[in-house]
Amino acid sequence: MSTNILILASASGFAEDKEAAKQLRLTKILPALETGDSVTLDFASVKYATQSFIHALIGEPLRRYQQRALDHLEFKNCSPQLKSLVELVVDYSLGGFAEEPVSNKSRKVSKKSR
Amino acid sequence: MCWMQRRNCWMAASSYVMYLKRLQSCLSIHDVKSIMAHLVVPNSATLHLIRRFLDQRELFVDAPGPVVLEFHPQWAHMEPVALAAIAAWGAWWRSQGKTIEVRNLSNHTRYAARMHLFEHLGVNYNPEQVEHEEAGRFLPIRQISAREGVGPVIGDISALLHLDDDPESLAAVQYCVSELLRNVLEHSGSPNGAFVCAHRYTTGAPHRVSIAVADCGQGIATHLGGVHPEALASDSVALGLAMRPGVTGARPGPYGTADNAGAGLFITRCIAKGTGGYFALASGHAGFRQRRSKKANDEIRLFVDPYDDPRHDKFEFAEGWHGTVVGLEIRTEKIADYDGFFQWIFKQIPSRRKRGKIKFS
Repeated sequence: MSTNILILASASGFAEDKEAAKQLRLTKILPALETGDSVTLDFASVKYATQSFIHALIGEPLRRYQQRALDHLEFKNCSPQLKSLVELVVDYSLGGFAEEPVSNKSRKVSKKSR
Repeated sequence: MCWMQRRNCWMAASSYVMYLKRLQSCLSIHDVKSIMAHLVVPNSATLHLIRRFLDQRELFVDAPGPVVLEFHPQWAHMEPVALAAIAAWGAWWRSQGKTIEVRNLSNHTRYAARMHLFEHLGVNYNPEQVEHEEAGRFLPIRQISAREGVGPVIGDISALLHLDDDPESLAAVQYCVSELLRNVLEHSGSPNGAFVCAHRYTTGAPHRVSIAVADCGQGIATHLGGVHPEALASDSVALGLAMRPGVTGARPGPYGTADNAGAGLFITRCIAKGTGGYFALASGHAGFRQRRSKKANDEIRLFVDPYDDPRHDKFEFAEGWHGTVVGLEIRTEKIADYDGFFQWIFKQIPSRRKRGKIKFS
């Protein structure tokens, strides 16, 4: 079985309401994962979000169920910003923050040339 | 004694009395000044000169009588960081039952009035304003006391700062305002909530949005100290911890709590840094400032430990700020240099890289 959740944002497509994210986590995401259901998070109306919002949404499920949560979660209609944000939250939720930023090691940058 | 001598004698005596009165007056002014709460707004109250603005000894002196806000007599160039801090300071004193007495109101304080500062101080001062719609790129001071208040502020940013045509800058400003306001509401214990304001500068270089959020709550060291005892060593240590990712005072846990990861302030600092803007944080007796970048390479390298950044300043305040003040700049012209500013920021943040595939569809 699969649970579809439409994530809502402000008129400008910005999602930052942690309380709303928390409610979705507690009432829909966690109960679904507990019973082994898959969850699809649909970000069609979201263009940007804060890390706090995404953390409030999926941080606890990931820490509680680890890789199993990742197997059961699907992220739909993510903008490039949201994709990188989801990757960030998944990464630190499963493994914590490292000591040094990636750029300090590889010095790779994605800035446009000026 | 002839009348001439009597007159000279009287004049000498009256001069002496006048001298004594003047001396007494000077002494009494000095006495009052030294025991009353007093905030002096220097001629330039900006992120660049944040140390001078916050390093004042009489901000929180508890004494009888009014609390005095004194503007510079000739000039007052104020940025949002000063306005938000003054509003928080004034509201805190008002909640202690004090009234705010403002000195040196004149033409140069019109901008403060336009930013609604005096409304938050309970001071009736409404100079005639000439509204310049095109130049009015600012978010006046707002007091946010509950979570429900955050959304409306975020919603107003686009129109008030005229950022409709610059979605990445708009998102960066909204991001920072949201994270900073929620930090105050969730962690500061401030009875008056948070004070926020912003201004978009488009006429002179650098083009930027300056944002500030201030409170007079428990301060960072006290908040973090409950979970991270090392934060109690000094305010400077506490500031350093607060700006690292994964440090939260909410509850103990390996990577934050269900609702807090402790990355908000870190990412906010990275956003300012990534565009080469100032980032300043002050709480208690300590202050931190990340300077503007001088060259593009300054922006590329983000530091987990803020004190590793070569372009930072550490301040120690004799009296300090009872609560927390955050001010930062987002240089809007620099955001255009990025192929997806947020993706770049998030990819610089240190986190584990090996994990299963994330299902995007």
